[in-house]
Amino acid sequence: MPRPPAAAPPQPLPAPAKVYLPMRQHQGAVAQPKVEPGDKVTMGQVIGASDDFEAANVQATVSGTVEAIIEMPDPSGGMVPTVVIANDGADAWSEELASPENALASLEEVGLTRPSRLLKRVREAGLVRSQVQGRPLHVDLSPPMAPQSYLYMTGIPVVRPIDTLIVKAVDPDPPVCPNASLLGEAGDTLAVGVAALARISGAKRVILALPSGVDASALSALAKQREWETASVSQTKYPFANDHLMVLSLTGREVPTPYGEPRDVGVTVQPLSTALDVGSVLLSGRPVMERVFSVAGEVKNPGVFKVRLGTPIGEVLQAAGGGPSQAGKVVVGGPMMGLAIYDLGTPVTRETQGVFVQSGPKVRHYADHPCIHCGRCVAVCPVNLIPSELGKLCEFRMYEEAAEQNLMNCIECGCCAYVCPAQRPMVHFLRHGKTEVMAGRMEQ
Amino acid sequence: MNQNLLTVSTSPHILGCTTLRSMYLEMMIALAPALITGLYFFGAPGLITVCLAVASAMVTEYVISLILKKPSTLGNLHVVLMGLLMGLILPPGAPWWLPVVGGFLTVALGMSIFGGNGAYPFNPVLVAWAALAISWPEAMGAYLEPMALGSGDDWMEAETFLMQLKGDIGTLEMFELGNVWLGKMAGGVGTTGTWALLAGGIYLVIRRLIPWQLPLGALIGALGMGLVAVYTDERIAEMGYEEFGAYLNVVWFHLGAGVFMIAAFFLGPEPVSSPVTPWGTFLFGLGVGLMTIIVRFWGSPIDGAFYGVLLMNAATPLLDRIRPRVIGKVVSGA
Ligand code: SF4
Ligand code: SF4
Repeated sequence: MPRPPAAAPPQPLPAPAKVYLPMRQHQGAVAQPKVEPGDKVTMGQVIGASDDFEAANVQATVSGTVEAIIEMPDPSGGMVPTVVIANDGADAWSEELASPENALASLEEVGLTRPSRLLKRVREAGLVRSQVQGRPLHVDLSPPMAPQSYLYMTGIPVVRPIDTLIVKAVDPDPPVCPNASLLGEAGDTLAVGVAALARISGAKRVILALPSGVDASALSALAKQREWETASVSQTKYPFANDHLMVLSLTGREVPTPYGEPRDVGVTVQPLSTALDVGSVLLSGRPVMERVFSVAGEVKNPGVFKVRLGTPIGEVLQAAGGGPSQAGKVVVGGPMMGLAIYDLGTPVTRETQGVFVQSGPKVRHYADHPCIHCGRCVAVCPVNLIPSELGKLCEFRMYEEAAEQNLMNCIECGCCAYVCPAQRPMVHFLRHGKTEVMAGRMEQ
Repeated sequence: MNQNLLTVSTSPHILGCTTLRSMYLEMMIALAPALITGLYFFGAPGLITVCLAVASAMVTEYVISLILKKPSTLGNLHVVLMGLLMGLILPPGAPWWLPVVGGFLTVALGMSIFGGNGAYPFNPVLVAWAALAISWPEAMGAYLEPMALGSGDDWMEAETFLMQLKGDIGTLEMFELGNVWLGKMAGGVGTTGTWALLAGGIYLVIRRLIPWQLPLGALIGALGMGLVAVYTDERIAEMGYEEFGAYLNVVWFHLGAGVFMIAAFFLGPEPVSSPVTPWGTFLFGLGVGLMTIIVRFWGSPIDGAFYGVLLMNAATPLLDRIRPRVIGKVVSGA
């Protein structure tokens, strides 16, 4: 499988003729469009916003004219109102952003600025934790609005301040590796980004999780200078980049599942690219216009690209040497956890990390053979479930029984389906089961 | 927007290359050394026995699939593997109908009655073996003296070493202990080549086709229980075996004798009828090891390991309840 050259710096792509900006590029509420068709917009102008705390602002990423507001599929396949902007090619920033006043001059300034002001900037810039179903960063960094009810009776403090920040420079799903190409960017931007993340969250301890066996000397040097701890994470044992498992292995704290999140145990985990985004927002005073994005799999020139948000994925693939053949697959995300899209017009959003392409003949098919009880899935499940049993229960519609066997704790990593010799569609069963359980509980 | 249709399905989008067919094929490859050793010592009679068992199992499966109007599963080689295992545990040169009935019972009684692959509670080969051993004890006990190919035309009947040992403990001194590991003794076609079985088994463990806990448990169980048994056996003490080393020698020898190895590496870890959890598989193996020695010392001289496997098969649903703690599952009130 051709992989992108790992350490090469991202290749910038020209801005497309039209950008498609979905009003929801995160997990949470949909933003309201603030423009009408025919409006002139400039780069960085807020075109979507919401009063809901769980929503992130959406900015125009090119200057030009709003052509239409339509319903479009986003990478997860749902229909989302999308603003289409025709690019005038001028790349003009709006007035206040052309010479931003509130840009930070230096690293020292981060320490002098109040955390609430830093958080406000992050919120205005509409940053999203860069991962599939990423939450708006300001939500992720703020303390929960109310004590989490699932923590009662568990022995875990119900309110616990965040004391550790883990910056993960490892990639979640190997051939798709935006982080690997950023390992060289160990300049001020990263230092400011991490410092700001630590200041906002209140973390005293910063752990930089570096992939082992990859040259990251620049990052290590920066870490030494800034007094961050570094941890080397082996990239061979998938799913090494899962947040909960990483928190467990790096801090020894166990995130309560299925509802818990790292901040329940006083940790916040942020990808390297998010830290860089925060750094560039604070230093430039402007929102992020681009996404570093990796294209892997069966394309002619796999690689890491820097593309404008809102570029249709099809255009990125063209730049990488063409899309898949008939009945192939285009997966947003990696081969193990990504989502297959059905429309090449689907735009690149803030959550997108990469695209994995498969040609028609290479698409794998599942079989409907019964489970042979071989136990290979049990041996690989990273959260110690018994996938074989869960799969059988979900297959035979015994969803509540499956929930009793901790179905909801499954992280959908796909390991069980990968090793299953009977080629059972394990993750499909488990996901379906989870949806049914949720639907059943909603009804009650 | 684009004319090119895309495929959409759930993740993961890549799968490992192990399929049922490749898995069963590898298991057969792992059995090859044992088969070759068996054929070397037992020649044509051994070959005929194995072939008849495989053929009979395949024909049975085909006929059953016709009767039930289900697609035949011959393609994934599962039935071939089962037939092969059946042939390997039978005495070489058994009357022709023995492997034929054996193959038939393996598929019909062991598998199809319960719903085919994935559904049977007991190892089908051993179900068939038990049926044969109860119905035709003489035929199942008629073993041949091993003979290297070409060393003569007359096959002599012989008792397996464990049978002799049961009757007369003195056999221990007459017999060269090493032969037990080389396969130069009377026994089933593929059960005597201990080194060969061990090599195949280790291959399976390395390829992660069987869980390593199971054979390990079996070895520990047999070793531990073997020492206990040897220490408590007065006859062995009377023979002047006193040191630990000498006792260990006897146990070492028990590991190599009879059907222990094939049970520990091939029949025990048969996927469907063995547990899936790490501790479950270990205990399963331990049970097989213990039973092997217990039956040999205090029960009938033959094939304790098979009883062990059948017994542990029955315990499998229970053993499957011993689960690892789910990561992140916080105990309420703790
Ligand atoms: S997808 Fe499978 S292996 Fe991964 S957590 Fe869920 S059950 Fe376990
Ligand atoms: S790997 Fe597949 S066949 Fe084996 S136990 Fe798991 S679900 Fe069943």
